[in-house]
Amino acid sequence: MRRHAVLWIALAVASVALSAAAAFETRANRLQAIKTVGIVSAIGEEMSLTQAGLTALGNTGQSASISAWGLDEMIVQQATKLLSGRFRVQPVSYRRAAFAAIRDSAVAPVNLLRSDPFKELVRSDVAPQGLDAYIVITRARSKLGSGRDVEGIGLVQYRTLLADYGLIHALYEVRVIDGKSFDVIEKRAAAPLDNTGTMRLAGPSGPVDETFDGPASGERLRTAIVDLVTRSLPVTLSDMHLMESQ
Amino acid sequence: MKQFDEAALDRAASAQQSLLSAFLAALGAITAIPQSASAQTAFTLPAPPFDLPMLPSPSGNWTVMVGIGGEYTPDFVGSKNGKFRPIPIFSIRRAGSIDQFRGPRDSASIALLDVGYFRAGPAFKYVSSRKSDKYSELTGLGDVKAAYELGGFVEYYPVDWLRLRSELRQGVGGHTGTVADVSADVIVPLIQRLTISAGPRFTWKSTKATAPYFGVDATQALASGLPMYDARGGAHSVGFGSQISYRINPQWEVHAYVEYERLLGDAAGSPLVKLRGSSNQTTIGLGASYSFDFRIR
Repeated sequence: MRRHAVLWIALAVASVALSAAAAFETRANRLQAIKTVGIVSAIGEEMSLTQAGLTALGNTGQSASISAWGLDEMIVQQATKLLSGRFRVQPVSYRRAAFAAIRDSAVAPVNLLRSDPFKELVRSDVAPQGLDAYIVITRARSKLGSGRDVEGIGLVQYRTLLADYGLIHALYEVRVIDGKSFDVIEKRAAAPLDNTGTMRLAGPSGPVDETFDGPASGERLRTAIVDLVTRSLPVTLSDMHLMESQ
Repeated sequence: MKQFDEAALDRAASAQQSLLSAFLAALGAITAIPQSASAQTAFTLPAPPFDLPMLPSPSGNWTVMVGIGGEYTPDFVGSKNGKFRPIPIFSIRRAGSIDQFRGPRDSASIALLDVGYFRAGPAFKYVSSRKSDKYSELTGLGDVKAAYELGGFVEYYPVDWLRLRSELRQGVGGHTGTVADVSADVIVPLIQRLTISAGPRFTWKSTKATAPYFGVDATQALASGLPMYDARGGAHSVGFGSQISYRINPQWEVHAYVEYERLLGDAAGSPLVKLRGSSNQTTIGLGASYSFDFRIR
């Protein structure tokens, strides 16, 4: 009896291992088969302004338009440069606002069970169709402290009893969507550039210092955000096995 | 108000520009923060030979936290004596994932619903068995098996620094009653690295959750020498908890906490508590942890 049980367990373990190996083959093969890609970026139209920590009751986040910064164009350019070694990158047109408007459901299981909302948008909104895959870069979300979420591009003022701290963030995630079936082949949120700060976010972020105050602070802010994206994008694409490790 | 180069911003959104200007001016009070060290990982592992279906690829940076803690806690609920026990600390998570605020009395829980200031989901608590031969005060009272409490929690942050939490759990095993916990925590970051929190706690338990631990039936009365006692449910305890955590540097963190609980109602009135124990229950804990990153190709 015990021998039968052991045999069944061994069989189950072998089945799981084989299925997993098959799944890996599928993902790896699908990435290998991609020759032409189009890049969609929709993270840089707005910057959130958040006060966190010891804040007053009713304090809500606000936002400012940064569309003049041309962040999405810069991201497409940089991703094109990074991916050109491996793929033929073709320019695509899309409604940026439609991609920027999509949000994850607050109910976690819904996100697991429902079809990825970007699949349908790529199918209906991106031209030209027919490329092997589409690289879609959109806003990601992170916890800040305990009871607050931040997402996308933003500036945070974190208040403590004895001091205030500033933080900028560029939180984004990258999807590889199959150009024929529109399945999500791979999805990855950009990781923090370092894990050494004491105020942590689950994505690229950096401290704000006093150089962000005064004349030309907007340009400095833009430069700092661009730097976060420029340094994190190669790492993220490399983690997704879309390019060679840096 | 200090100057801000607005030309770089979208000129069409002047109201939003002034908002950003004001925000940046407010940040003028921020002191310069030294640039943190560049990303350093302890080691790099090769990519696994296969991925599991439905799960994201493990490639990327991960943070491991290891440490050791200790907790001085009553021998059993209602005991006047306590013991110190070591608690290992271990966690592994994607680099940058945030540790949510957690109280020492919180059950293990998963936030299936998370809208930032409001979280809810299933909760689970393990209540260890109570062996009568382990402590002299329990002689003759018989064993109570380990209980598994399953239920849910809701958590609400009216502001970033105040957490209100409630749990409702149903026991199976050692007790088959219902338990409700309510707590509030004021979370005050003194500086970026040092946070203190404190707040009141209240617990309600049904009769089926109270009787196995505080009731004394005829057989137990004969064997233990305690008077018979019919323990009923109701307000079980009220208390106060506080914790402090200090991040010495990005790798090392130390924490300490104290939880005081005063038993109420039939729990406090039980002869086990009145004659052989105490209705004052104090738990003290401390620990230190070290975090490091590693990378999976």
